Amino acid sequence: MPEVIIPIGPHHPALKEPVNFKVIADGEKIVRLELDISYNHRGIEKAAEQRDFIRVLPLLERVCGICSHSHSTAFAKGIEEIMQLEIPPRAQYIRTIVAELERMHSHLLWLGVAAHEIGFNTLFMWIWRDREAVQDTLEEMSGNRVHYGMNEIGGVRRDLTPEQVNAALVRLPHLEERIKKYVDMVNNQETLLIRFKGIGKLSKEEVLKYGAVGPTARASGVDYDIRSDDPYLAYKEAPWKVVTDTHGDVYGRTIVRIGELEESLKIVRYCLEHLPEGPIRVTVPKIAPKGEIFSRYEAPRGELAHFIRTNGTDKVERIDIRTPTLANWTSVAMCLVNQNLADIPVIVAAIDPCLSCTSRITVMNDYDRKASSITMDELRRQSRARFQRAERL
Amino acid sequence: MTNGLMVDFVLDTMKEFGTIEQIRSNRIRISTTPDKVHDAIKRSRELLKCDRLITISAADNGRTLELIYHLTGPHRTVISLVIELPRDVPETPTMSDILPAGIYERQIHDLFGIFFKGNPNLEKIILNEDWPDNEYPLRKDWKPDPGKFYGGIKEERI
Amino acid sequence: MMSVLTGTLSQRLANWARVKSPWVTIFNSGACNACDIEIIACLMPHFDVERFGILAKGSPRHADILIVTGHVTLKQASRLRRVWEQIPEPKYVIAMGACGASGGVFHGLYNMVETVGAVIPIDVYVAGCPPRPDEIINAVVTCLNLLKEDIAHGGKQWRQKKELELPTKGTKTGEVTV
Repeated sequence: MPEVIIPIGPHHPALKEPVNFKVIADGEKIVRLELDISYNHRGIEKAAEQRDFIRVLPLLERVCGICSHSHSTAFAKGIEEIMQLEIPPRAQYIRTIVAELERMHSHLLWLGVAAHEIGFNTLFMWIWRDREAVQDTLEEMSGNRVHYGMNEIGGVRRDLTPEQVNAALVRLPHLEERIKKYVDMVNNQETLLIRFKGIGKLSKEEVLKYGAVGPTARASGVDYDIRSDDPYLAYKEAPWKVVTDTHGDVYGRTIVRIGELEESLKIVRYCLEHLPEGPIRVTVPKIAPKGEIFSRYEAPRGELAHFIRTNGTDKVERIDIRTPTLANWTSVAMCLVNQNLADIPVIVAAIDPCLSCTSRITVMNDYDRKASSITMDELRRQSRARFQRAERL
Repeated sequence: MTNGLMVDFVLDTMKEFGTIEQIRSNRIRISTTPDKVHDAIKRSRELLKCDRLITISAADNGRTLELIYHLTGPHRTVISLVIELPRDVPETPTMSDILPAGIYERQIHDLFGIFFKGNPNLEKIILNEDWPDNEYPLRKDWKPDPGKFYGGIKEERI
Repeated sequence: MMSVLTGTLSQRLANWARVKSPWVTIFNSGACNACDIEIIACLMPHFDVERFGILAKGSPRHADILIVTGHVTLKQASRLRRVWEQIPEPKYVIAMGACGASGGVFHGLYNMVETVGAVIPIDVYVAGCPPRPDEIINAVVTCLNLLKEDIAHGGKQWRQKKELELPTKGTKTGEVTV
């Protein structure tokens, strides 16, 4: 049995970085996977114990640059539940709008990266150009393209003026039309179908056995979605549905993410049109009573779980963050078994790894230990060559 | 939408494992001991139909170290199983044979020093390779020792 | 004073190519990834930095400019130093964002080196958390202006800080001499 040691480096897959990894192999099949996530370990959980509730929110936002609103909302809603506060509906709707816009920008980002991994750079450029519309909307609403800073304990910090609402509504039809085009492309374009189908397949039992979350799990028919299991913010009022698929492979995950794009757009439109009047925050006590809460949130990559414990002061005693990518690594490790080396970029990119939580993957087996070097660029080249050969057939 | 688990049903099934309370409409907390927790998880998988592990949280409450296993299933109720471990010898059997707990147990071992008996691979996962042994950063009484080398660069930059 | 267009033919060609088309390599030293996404957004059609000849290359041996994102974690410190040493002269370093300047929100955490400046010398700091793509392009252009000045002065040494010579005789503390 061959042995493959592949560190995929601490960079987003879209960056063309050569990463050295040892291929201890006789053939091309992979057997086991090992992890090392110490590159990005920053010690945030310990630092959050020393900052009060106003100062800890910017720290938690910067756990991840792509799903920053998820972390701050999960924390804020947990503390608000410990303090037993009732958040005004206008604040809930504004939080939902920013959350769904963030989901759209994250899924568009992923779609572009997935296209890049198979060599389809034109689609990569087109999708990221359309993503700028979402970023412009977020910038108008919050002042920043990433790390919006909209949340505070007790509500949101900024209100939406009618001009901002109208400007956002005007952008939505164009985005909708582009998304329909991508749906059409994924359903009918032969290139994408060949490259994504059959790769990295996970059955329903395997998803539950390995604890996968998010679109990775929903692509295999497991319909866990925290927005419907444990509703929060405005998800009970907005009309939307959970998107699942039965393929279970990378193609299924693409279908799920594009479906979620459409659903998010519907939610954003509903919330913008039905924004209730009223205040945007409530007054909040300075200290939180002693308590424990398990706050879950549906981040773009899956289920985010914050376990928060307070002790009657103005700081948390313990916050334990379980990011969705951490839960998905086990399933990636298992579905890489018996796949080809050249499929590694696509399979790893298919769980949409947020690399602030992870850095290195080593795939190991215990047989003989011959070593040779291969770069990630070389793997990508092999992957694209395989796809071109398949296209010519 | 499936119905949530009723706390009476949970009480009947799991009452010999410890105290059970319902702390939220869809969260039930069971406090048990380290020797019974493996059976408790097995029973909740079979009888309470909890087929999914959400996460394993660890916390330091000053006196003991706590481990909380969060499970859920198609009923969408979260069952939290809490055990307490003594600070000087925190050991507990591993759950990686019945749950996908390997990655969480490795992380907790790095940060808190809890030893999971039977886990095949407890190597460093989240702390760098130069980090000294027996230094567990997330314990409440840990402070960085200025004399020790925790990683980084030793030589001055030019 | 030399300008870009003096020297032998090969020197002139090399200087012109460096100024007209700098190649950039990006190193993520423990960041939250927001800065990296903004850098990739620079290469995309909306901001389109490739029309200026700026390419993002993977290998440090091909690069002129190193962009460091994030606040250096203990694990990445030695790797960052090694990457910096592999870049051939003349090289410039841009430290992105609040993390590059002083650590940002991550200042003082247990798994971090003091600052990026403790590991490698930095030429340009860009403000923002994360900086906008336009600001990143501005930083690269500032680097190019620095490069032109350095070629004119014959290297980087003229920018090093010199030891200040304080006057020792004839003045008492608090006394101002004009």
